[in-house]
Parts: sequence; C-alpha cells; structure tokens
Amino acid sequence: MARELRKAARDSGEDVAAHHGLVKMIPQWERGDRAPRERYRLLHLKVFTDALGGLPHGMDAVDLALRLAEVRSRAASLPGPGQIRALEAAALAKPGETMTRAEIRALAEEAIAHLHEVAGKLAELSALLGDDEANEGKP
Amino acid sequence: MSARDDKIRQVVAELDAHVAEVEASVAVLKALLADDEVPEEEEDPS
Repeated sequence: MARELRKAARDSGEDVAAHHGLVKMIPQWERGDRAPRERYRLLHLKVFTDALGGLPHGMDAVDLALRLAEVRSRAASLPGPGQIRALEAAALAKPGETMTRAEIRALAEEAIAHLHEVAGKLAELSALLGDDEANEGKP
Repeated sequence: MSARDDKIRQVVAELDAHVAEVEASVAVLKALLADDEVPEEEEDPS
C-alpha cells in the first residue's frame, strides 16, 4: 500500500512521506489511532479507483473503492499462520481458566482456516480487478 | 451495475467477513495472554 500511495503521489506530482514513514502511518490509520490527512485520503481513493478502472464512475464506484481499500488494508495487517500458532502456543503455556486447551486449539485452527479463506478471496479479487500485484496484501 | 461489479462487491463482503473472523480470534488469543481474561460484551455487576 505504501508503494502504491507513493506511486499515486508521484503520478500526481505530489510530495508524500518517505516509504518508511508511510509504513509506520498506515497501520495507525487502519487501527483508527489517527486519521489520515485529506491528501492521503485522496491518494487512497486514487489508488483504488484506478484499480477499479473498469467500473462505472460515480458514488457506487467510490464507495466500493473505499471499502476495498479498507478491507485489503485490514487483510494485509493480519498475522500469518505462524504468528497465530505462536499465540496459540503461548496461550496454551499460560495457565488460565477462561478457556480450555481444546477451545484454544480450536480457536487457532478456526483463525488459520479463515486466514486461508482471506488469501483465496484476495486472489479472487486480484483476478477480478486484473491486478498485476496478486500477492499485494496477502497475509 | 454489471455482473462483474456485483461479483466484486460479493467477494469484498466475503473477504470482510473472513478478515473479521481472524481479527476476532486473534483478539481473544491476545486477551488470553494479556490477562487471562476473554473480553466480554458486558460485565456482570454482581
């Protein structure tokens, strides 16, 4: 996403934060810790409206582009299967009465199964959008 | 709205649902590590 934002800015002749700055800011925007400034909102819009170039223009396309941007960003920030396994192992190692070991294992399995679905849906979206970067945002 | 647009909307909605499931499960696992408590919707005042 940082790379795409910088490209959109370059194409429009605008200055944006350095790559590492964007990489730091984007998760803060995604978590809602801070709101992106207007120029970054417009750049997001440009990135995803361009990605949906085949769609009709208008509010529907803008709404879809924004929704797509938001969900792809969230997908990109998900932990990978290895990180979920590590969380599971840590939770199993920590004594507690909130959940049984079987429930913790089932929760981790479920999370990883959904993670695979996320990867599949991202690939499906990339194919639908004719996205050259099919792996962009894949967890 | 073309069939392709409808399909994109459908896939985005499905992606959103799966992402939300992963986020929720990860939040529970992290909460277990944080304080051994799963986040509750409401606290029982008793």
